[in-house]
Amino acid sequence: MSADLSGPGLWTTSVGSFPKPDYIKKARGRFARKEIDRGELLELERRATREWVEFQNSIDTDLVVDGEMYRGDMVAYFAEELPGLEIGGLVRSYGNRYYRKPIATGPVGRDHPITVEWWKYAQSLTDKPVKGMLTGPYTICDWSFNEHYGSRRELVLDLAKVIRDEALDLERAGARFIQIDEPAASTRMDELDLVIESMAIVTEPLTAHTITHICYGDFHNAYPKMLDIPVDQIDLEFANSDYSLLEEFTDNPFTKYIGFGVVDVHSHHEETVDEIAEGIRRGLKHIPADRIFVDPDCGLKTRTVEEARTKLSNIKQAVDLVRAEL
Amino acid sequence: MTVTTTVVGSYPKPPDEGRAFALRKTLHKIERGDANLEELRATQDDLVRAAIGEQEAAGIDIVTDGHARWDDILTPFARTITGFEIGGLLRFFDNNVYYRRPVCVGELEWGGPSSVEAFRFAASVATKPVKVVVPGPVTFAHLSVDEHYGDHESFVLAVARVLAQEAFELEAAGARYIQIDEPALLGAPEDLELAGRALGIIADELKGDETEVTLATYFGDAKRLGEAIYELPADVFGFDLVSGPENRVLIDNLPDGKKVQVGLLDARNTKLEDVDTLARDIDALVEQFGSERVLVSPSSGLEFLPREKARAKLERLGEATAQAAGRTRQDPKEVGA
Repeated sequence: MSADLSGPGLWTTSVGSFPKPDYIKKARGRFARKEIDRGELLELERRATREWVEFQNSIDTDLVVDGEMYRGDMVAYFAEELPGLEIGGLVRSYGNRYYRKPIATGPVGRDHPITVEWWKYAQSLTDKPVKGMLTGPYTICDWSFNEHYGSRRELVLDLAKVIRDEALDLERAGARFIQIDEPAASTRMDELDLVIESMAIVTEPLTAHTITHICYGDFHNAYPKMLDIPVDQIDLEFANSDYSLLEEFTDNPFTKYIGFGVVDVHSHHEETVDEIAEGIRRGLKHIPADRIFVDPDCGLKTRTVEEARTKLSNIKQAVDLVRAEL
Repeated sequence: MTVTTTVVGSYPKPPDEGRAFALRKTLHKIERGDANLEELRATQDDLVRAAIGEQEAAGIDIVTDGHARWDDILTPFARTITGFEIGGLLRFFDNNVYYRRPVCVGELEWGGPSSVEAFRFAASVATKPVKVVVPGPVTFAHLSVDEHYGDHESFVLAVARVLAQEAFELEAAGARYIQIDEPALLGAPEDLELAGRALGIIADELKGDETEVTLATYFGDAKRLGEAIYELPADVFGFDLVSGPENRVLIDNLPDGKKVQVGLLDARNTKLEDVDTLARDIDALVEQFGSERVLVSPSSGLEFLPREKARAKLERLGEATAQAAGRTRQDPKEVGA
């Protein structure tokens, strides 16, 4: 791999988002009501980012994330910055949860880097590599309305060029790991080819270690074709299905680096160090240690700060335990 | 005389941009213990009045309560049917929308009405007839986990028996339009014969002539079911022409004596349809089947759209239908893009 992680493997990392501390939630509300300006909000977002990077440093995380303190959600964040996409009205996702679904109203382009300053800031706070974090073109399309393009494919391919340019800017800034999340990739089997085609546009010119995160979805039908997505590493959820995904690897071995999710992000349940260690051992039966990154199932933003810290600490302790057995 | 306009089910819960979101606030208050279920019911009543009012103003002939009290089409039934528990969140077909998966943990029994009270309220505030939506037994089974029956057929038929009781109660309460939603059948053509038996159990509880039963499909085409779909015991067959353009072939072969509910408006994208194009589509359907046998609707429930867009779409459907009828509506609504 082009990155230079040393050691026996089982590197620790995170999928992306962390919970926002209360002062960020309050500040975002005040900013929306125009009670504070962007500069004040930014100062607090930098503070929260610093606290999360320092926490990851304190537990010796191998591959650090910035925690996305400055993002509302992973699609709207990009939609706000990209010409051609507008933030639309509220739609419900479940229960009493609603989100603003973006609308493609014109040709999608990019007139400035979006994530590079945040990446540089986070990287300045740690000696460990920080992941560049992008949302993939297929997922941005799937989670948006389309009023401009004649087909989903046209929108996805234009978005792919935009995300490629952002990834190239991250690489120029020094990022050696770039994650392009495609949680929607397992939604429609008949569009997996489009996921592959668009990801090829993004990763083709990159030399960084590339990762994509895919949510559970229709995994049984998406695997092993999913391995054709042109990235070095695929990050998957294992804990929330009690590691049943591993059964798929018996007939069709997993051929890439893996992001191995070992704690459920939608549960208050605090997985013990032993539980997590056992999960890692199960993974090692299918994939060698030096191909495994250990992390939570998904972004931790729906947990409390304390729950997230405990889950991450327990992952680190479990990894230390299993590394000693290698 | 022109075609009948209707909706498929849900209507957006958020208010227009900039207006207070009463339902969300009340639910947050309930979470904190600062509101009771009476307040929630009053908020939902207001939302039902608004949803029905907007449908009627747009010219919709057969309305629904917009599922204003429901989180998804299964949970309200799974809650009242004995033998079901409510499970975790799962993606609802190919939408970025989630439902709670019912878990069948014991013998299913009717545990009292799930939707009758909501129907009575809706009917009391509507000037147009109100259609009620009941999840189809095959779809119910596919979207649930069965930890009790152990075989799919027994599970589907058990669900059908409790839903038949619900349908009976709805009819007794005055419901004349009952829509049974079977979107999962599109991906499970092997269940077609079973669906026929399951729907038969429900249809047998209804008196027949007085009540119009619609079998609604959406989110795709029914080509894998083929014309055998028309053997299912329903009066009206609903198809999504947006996500399933190939449904056109099935519609062309609509058997005599059956009606078709054609999903012309894209209920999952904000782009507004052109009124003239819609009117021409409606003209063609009238030409083909006569106005008596055609209902036009959005492609699915409208909850995938922001409120303003859903309303604007219904207004366009209303205008197009009026245009197709060769008359101008007396109070044409200004429809903003």
